Amino acid sequence: MIELKNLTKNYGNHSAVQGLSLRIGKGEIFGFIGPNGAGKTTTIRMMGGVMAPTAGSVTIAGIDMQAQPQEAKRRIGFIPDRPFLYEKLTGLEFLRFTADIYGVAEARFRDKAAAALSRFSLTDWSDDLIESYSHGMKQRLVMAAALLHDPEVLIVDEPMVGLDPLAIIMVKKLFRQLAAQGVAIFMSTHTLKVAEEICDRIGILSRGRLLAIGTVEDLRQKAEVDSVDLEQVFLNLTRNSA
Amino acid sequence: MANTLMHEVRLLLMPRTLPALRRRWSRSPRGGRGRFIVLGLVGMLFWWGIFGISWRVLRYFKGIEDIGDLLAHKLQSMILVVSFALLLFSGILTALARLFLSRDLLLVHSLPSPAYRIFIARWIDATVDSSWMVIVFTLPVFLAYGTVFGAGAAYYAVTLLALALLAVIASALSALGVMIGVVIVPATRMRSIVILMGVLLFVVLYVAIRLVRPEQLVDPEVFDSVMVYIASLQAPAAPFLPTSWASDSIQAALTGAVSNSGFHLAHSASFAVLVFCLAVIVADAIYFKGFSKAQTAATAVIRRRGLSERIFRFLPGPVRAFTVKEIKTFLRDQTQWTQLFLIAALLVIYIYNFDALPLEKSPIQTVYLQNVFAFLNMALALLVLTAVAARFAYPAVSLEKEAIWLVKSSPLSIRSFLLIKFFIYYLPLLALTETLIVGTNWLLEVTPFMMVLSTVTVFFLVPGIIAMGIGLGAAYPDFKAENPAQTASSFGGLVFMLACAAYVAAVILLQAGPVYRLFMADLHGRPLSALVWLWIAAAFAAAFLLSILAVVLPLRFGEKRLRQMHL
Repeated sequence: MIELKNLTKNYGNHSAVQGLSLRIGKGEIFGFIGPNGAGKTTTIRMMGGVMAPTAGSVTIAGIDMQAQPQEAKRRIGFIPDRPFLYEKLTGLEFLRFTADIYGVAEARFRDKAAAALSRFSLTDWSDDLIESYSHGMKQRLVMAAALLHDPEVLIVDEPMVGLDPLAIIMVKKLFRQLAAQGVAIFMSTHTLKVAEEICDRIGILSRGRLLAIGTVEDLRQKAEVDSVDLEQVFLNLTRNSA
Repeated sequence: MANTLMHEVRLLLMPRTLPALRRRWSRSPRGGRGRFIVLGLVGMLFWWGIFGISWRVLRYFKGIEDIGDLLAHKLQSMILVVSFALLLFSGILTALARLFLSRDLLLVHSLPSPAYRIFIARWIDATVDSSWMVIVFTLPVFLAYGTVFGAGAAYYAVTLLALALLAVIASALSALGVMIGVVIVPATRMRSIVILMGVLLFVVLYVAIRLVRPEQLVDPEVFDSVMVYIASLQAPAAPFLPTSWASDSIQAALTGAVSNSGFHLAHSASFAVLVFCLAVIVADAIYFKGFSKAQTAATAVIRRRGLSERIFRFLPGPVRAFTVKEIKTFLRDQTQWTQLFLIAALLVIYIYNFDALPLEKSPIQTVYLQNVFAFLNMALALLVLTAVAARFAYPAVSLEKEAIWLVKSSPLSIRSFLLIKFFIYYLPLLALTETLIVGTNWLLEVTPFMMVLSTVTVFFLVPGIIAMGIGLGAAYPDFKAENPAQTASSFGGLVFMLACAAYVAAVILLQAGPVYRLFMADLHGRPLSALVWLWIAAAFAAAFLLSILAVVLPLRFGEKRLRQMHL
């Protein structure tokens, strides 16, 4: 469903992502972890078509992002780490804006918007301007908007930042449901506990390079730790690469 | 105590001073030097232009017996009054931003520093920001005074000091007013109120000046009242106005009365210190209270649903999405819709000016003059459009702000996005320009040929100007700008205005010759040769081609730059 081939991004002389190759299947939840500045957000932006790679390719549902960006993006639900939105629209208006962009029919929109607002506990604020929303509410609204067009691939940068515990539980449950429906989910996170709990496979990125990839068990073996805690695995692997 | 205060204020100013120093001493980034040279050259040209005009006007005044010096003095006090008004207006807006609306204020107020010290640091920053441009561009006027009236070195020192004190007074008064105002009205609303007041003030001033009808001064019939005029010139200015102290000190230095000048300067300086101290005392009492109040955002609930969506239902989804978003954002942003008043004022003033033209008193044949004006009117209306487009079309892409990721991650291509933006601004701005042209031509009573030529030319030029606005706005966006005026005054905004001026000039020059030949031939009933017709066709074809290029090239340039841009 998602394929990265030799993906590279250079900023001047600095290489943020170096030759990253990955394949994520239908219905899989893939976690991307790594220290600050490892290249996670850059990778996610290239996957979302927000940034062009220096080299390599991104393929979404068999469509090359470079060759057919519009077609590829139509299949993606993109959730960035910082929820910058149109502050002068209301929550409901923003959902309608997204639905229009992604071509969601009016008849479907009403039901879907109502369901999304209810799921993300935003119904009571749907007629308020976004500028009055808290960070967590904006994050929930972005998620609601990203799912409106039933994407085949969900790309999420730090999904839990700014969410309250109740919302975190709901999002984890939602991701599992979506994966069960066949949606491929690629998420970067600093919350190792979340990665451990819901991801089928995890990739550890450091200095733009993929250090390790596999299930939590695979990573434990690679890091040569007995601890059940992913934190220790992460520390061992990233320390060795530094 | 004083040392600690100064040290703390210096520290609080560091986030502003360090980047400025770093820019000064480090190597410019790619393109930075070129940008600096272009901005510097335009600034210098403008500066020399002001100097040249002032010098000529003052030389002319000096040549008029009896009232020449009086006129020069009166002009100088008027310049100071206008500068002071500008300093106050700019001071209020800057103080609002620096003291209450800047994003870094949350961090600054979390520091273990008393509110009055934070105020002092922010006020210094605001004073420099709000006054440097006014001072820099009034200096050539005073330089012209110095050269024309042969002033000594003391005059220049006194002028600099008087202007600096005027800036300090204006900034301290603005800060005082803003601090008190914010306690009464929320800071976010206050800015709109100030902009609206500024626009109204401008309109009232303009209408007042128009009602005086300065063009009548050249009419011999009014010379009967010249003695009354001299008497009004000699009337002393209001003694309690800071501009009077500045004017008196500069005037005294100009005539070599240095001690007298020092007395008036001391007046200004003591008042500046007094207002500053008062502002610090008020800041200690209410600044934090106002800042705290400014953070409580008003929660606007929008009850009316889907009216715009219903109106634009016929449009394709993405086009409808952006059209509706753009209209709603515009109407809900008070800083945006107050600009509508400015446009309405501009329209009224523009049309009124044509109505006031005393064409019937001119010794030149009226039909000829009417049509010359109609031709020049095209250029003027297009320059007005450029100014309006600089404020609306050019910042259109930057107005997406940091939500631009929504566009880049959506299945809408950058080209479609720019075309949607283009059409959103093209239609209303075309209507505005055509209204201007038709309205003024109607007042001028031009020939049908000129009416058709003007409306058709404008119809073909408006797309080019809007496309340059959207395209260059996409090529040089500022997604972090706090308001559209900031975007319009950037480097890209300058490039846009220069490009538009060059484009309008090129088309007008291409048309001038052929239109003159056609008009004269029609007036005298003479036929044109085939060669002249060929020349006319070639000139119009070249103007048409230029108009197509003006649409295609900037949009392509903007598309390419925006696509490659790292967010």
